[in-house]
Amino acid sequence: MIDQPGSSILQVKNLNVFYGTFQAVSNVSFYVKSGEIFGLLGPNGAGKTSTLSSVEGLLKPQSGEITVAGFNISKQPLHARANMGVQLQATSFQPELTITEIIKLYAGIYGVNLTSEKLNALLQDIKLEEAASKKFGQLSGGQQQRVSLVISTIHDPILVMLDEPTTGLDPQSRRQLWERIEAIREKGHAVLLTTHSMEEAEAVCDRIAIIDHGKVIATDTPQGLIDLYRNDPAVISASRKGKITLEDVFIGLTGKTVRA
Amino acid sequence: METKIPKPSDAFLSLMRADFTTQWRNRRSVIMSLLVPIIILISWKGLIAKLGGAFVFSIALTIGLTSIGMMGYAISVARDRDKGVFQRLRVTPVPTPFIMMSRLLVQLGMIAVLTLGVFIIGYRVDKIALTPAGYILTFITAFLGGALYLGFGQMIVGLIKNAETVNSTTRLVYIAFIMLGMFGELSDNMEFKNIIHWSPFGTVKTILAAAMQPVTWNNDATLALVATLAYALVFSFLGIKWFRWN
Ligand SMILES: Nc1ncnc2c1ncn2[C@@H]1O[C@H](COP(=O)(O)OP(=O)(O)OP(=O)(O)O)[C@@H](O)[C@H]1O
Ligand SMILES: [Mg+2]
Repeated sequence: MIDQPGSSILQVKNLNVFYGTFQAVSNVSFYVKSGEIFGLLGPNGAGKTSTLSSVEGLLKPQSGEITVAGFNISKQPLHARANMGVQLQATSFQPELTITEIIKLYAGIYGVNLTSEKLNALLQDIKLEEAASKKFGQLSGGQQQRVSLVISTIHDPILVMLDEPTTGLDPQSRRQLWERIEAIREKGHAVLLTTHSMEEAEAVCDRIAIIDHGKVIATDTPQGLIDLYRNDPAVISASRKGKITLEDVFIGLTGKTVRA
Repeated sequence: METKIPKPSDAFLSLMRADFTTQWRNRRSVIMSLLVPIIILISWKGLIAKLGGAFVFSIALTIGLTSIGMMGYAISVARDRDKGVFQRLRVTPVPTPFIMMSRLLVQLGMIAVLTLGVFIIGYRVDKIALTPAGYILTFITAFLGGALYLGFGQMIVGLIKNAETVNSTTRLVYIAFIMLGMFGELSDNMEFKNIIHWSPFGTVKTILAAAMQPVTWNNDATLALVATLAYALVFSFLGIKWFRWN
């Protein structure tokens, strides 16, 4: 694929989302290419989930154009959704169903033929063979996260969207998730994730967009952002150890106040 | 880019399998909703001679249908909406109406189970036997009445967003229906009786009672049928219109 928005898997153009009169997303534009991990960073309430929800077609933006694999989400939602795998920030599966049943449900929905060997391999891969007949609610946070990722990638989508996938994970699980995300990139697929962790953004994201009060205030590679803003007075004042980090840039650009 | 959308029928079958499994795992609450009609059939055994089999049967069935529409349908929809179960399903390439249709089909299955259960227990315990036409007509009217209460349940989850509030509201309405239904018609106050008669409880009860003995089907039953259909349409229309997935 060529390095330009035209060949991107996901394109978001001039997105505006309102809740009543409150504007949660304001003129947001970005793209994600194949073989790329793109991070959306922003404080609480910045508009990350609202942006993802628009891409998923869960909410109708007031204006803007979104295409997934060339399909416009409002005109061909089913085609667009068939090309994306999604992990929502607050997801739950039917609490009565077992892990196996949930995986089978989603395989069926995506038209994936899941043989019992395939199912076992999937469960083995996420080290949950033992838990196959447990209910989702009986798993630990990290285990739930693994199940959730397996389901969002069960149809091998070319775009995977993860809303704060590593929140609440221990360092081991987090590393493991990073590896899984990188494996998706190795296949040439695209990943869009949101995170509050600067370490994570630096470690796995090829490019990031910093979003605040619904607006994208910077888009670049993590190192590119550091280089670009290392002389910004607000960034320098945010720096704690002399060395400018991505977190310093983030704080410098989005301010020090905690969001309501 | 070439994209194959998964076959809708496969997706629908998967949804239905999951929804039936869910219902099966919840069999305790299912049994609870069958229990009240059964208790009525058994405990009112002595009253059948006085009130007539159709009267007792139709009350038992109507109460069962109420509980399916409200406890079976509304409460589970409100709960899953609260938990984000629907949102997760909605980001898949399954047409959104399928998600609800699958749930409704499960409840129609429940209506069939309830009706059969009432027939069997009525026959065994109360020695009530209908003509073949009576059984068939009762089955059909049970689905119509069920549609009314499913519509009512839909209206409740459309109006009330909070799962806890849906829970308490449906329980309250359910108990109110039982009270009104069982004691309303025995009251002496004509005006009160009339209101009950044309309420969503009364119309369903009337058509069920008439369907059990097709020879007794009269003008009143036809009007009750029209009213039942009108209620069902209005409730479903409003319920769908007001419904929000999150
Ligand atoms: N359904 C809603 N109704 C009204 N306001 C909403 C709704 N959902 C989100 N908002 C508001 O829109 C803004 C953006 O919310 P959003 O969930 O997109 O933020 P976020 O960047 O994902 O935050 P977080 O990091 O906390 O997940 C917030 O101010 C939030 O309060
Ligand atoms: Mg969010």
